[in-house]
Amino acid sequence: MSNQNGSVYGLTFLCPILNDAAASPSHDLQIRNYLSKLDTGAGSPFAIAPGTHLARLAVMDDVIYVGSPAIEEHLQSKYLVFETNCDSDLEPYLRGLVGAVTSHIDAIWQHCTGYPGCADFSRLLAYMKACQITTSFFFAAVNNKTVPQTLVALQTQQAVAQFIASHQGMEPVQLQREFLDFIQWLRSQPPPAPGVGGPLRAIQTGGHNE
Amino acid sequence: MSNINGKLYAMNAITPMKPWKTWILRLIFFLLWHIKSKQADLINLSFIQFARWVIIPRNRFPSLSSDQKQETLKYDYLLFFSNFNGTWNQYIDAFSDVLSDGLNLIWRWSEKFPGSVPVTGFKEYIARVQFDTDYYYTSYPQATANDTKAAHIVVAALDTLAAQAETQTPEQFQAAYLQFVLAAQANLGGLGEAPAVF
Repeated sequence: MSNQNGSVYGLTFLCPILNDAAASPSHDLQIRNYLSKLDTGAGSPFAIAPGTHLARLAVMDDVIYVGSPAIEEHLQSKYLVFETNCDSDLEPYLRGLVGAVTSHIDAIWQHCTGYPGCADFSRLLAYMKACQITTSFFFAAVNNKTVPQTLVALQTQQAVAQFIASHQGMEPVQLQREFLDFIQWLRSQPPPAPGVGGPLRAIQTGGHNE
Repeated sequence: MSNINGKLYAMNAITPMKPWKTWILRLIFFLLWHIKSKQADLINLSFIQFARWVIIPRNRFPSLSSDQKQETLKYDYLLFFSNFNGTWNQYIDAFSDVLSDGLNLIWRWSEKFPGSVPVTGFKEYIARVQFDTDYYYTSYPQATANDTKAAHIVVAALDTLAAQAETQTPEQFQAAYLQFVLAAQANLGGLGEAPAVF
């Protein structure tokens, strides 16, 4: 019952967004605007930095009123929700992000209250710890593999399927020789890049109840 | 808004809870975590890659500056984040069909939760408390939860076969290869297009 399941971490952050009436557009809209243009494939900051299985960013405008007799209440700030499923705990994970994609982190989080910037890592770490909410229950379908291990496994799975299909009915001597060549070739392949290979999909909305 | 990336859908939901009920839910999560058999249905659903529940006490919303207005909330809040394959309707239907007891156990402490069966009221409630994702990333957008599980099974079987291959006679290798194919064949599906989700 924590931020960790096996070797996978589920980190959750709630970062208050600046509430500046003079800002135009407002800071939450500036975040949304930036995120809407951010690459979700191989150019994603989470693909460039190491160790992210899945991550999301969402602006939470308010809590939700579920109707009478519940009490209607509202947040004083909007919050940037950052939810990530990754291979390491906060400090090494954050160090990886800062080392690889500082400009993106600054561009997004500069709109958040108290954000110190990436230049001073210890202050950034303290800020993220202050924004972190402990996960109450974390489920992971695969909880003992890193991102590179999963990418290599998917690549291997596809290659093995092709090998089997093309080597049916082969004589044992030739099969063994070609299998050993195949293993050597497979292990010489670079690991696939993260974030690529998804189905082409022009629409990414996928709203509610569809 | 970007709730979808490749074959994955990102769902976020937030529900209010009376603070005294929060402690009951914490106990339930504790028991769910430690009694692994209680997670069997969640695992067997097989289209959830990662999911989490996060309880935020009403006085624990982060406060980072004296300029920031303090929250004055009466409720604690339960956040739910899921990463699943398929459509919203398929997901909620399956949740309602397979996990209704478990879901009721978790969400019955939230205000106005109607129960996960019948599904109509459950869907209305989830649609009401859901908020959209602005940016969604996955390292393997082409793969479902089942694809990743299957791929790791293939790799483990392949490693075993490869470790023996060099020292076996061709006949021994052929027999081992046949056993490998039999064991791996159910896990060799291609990573094709996702079903339409809009």
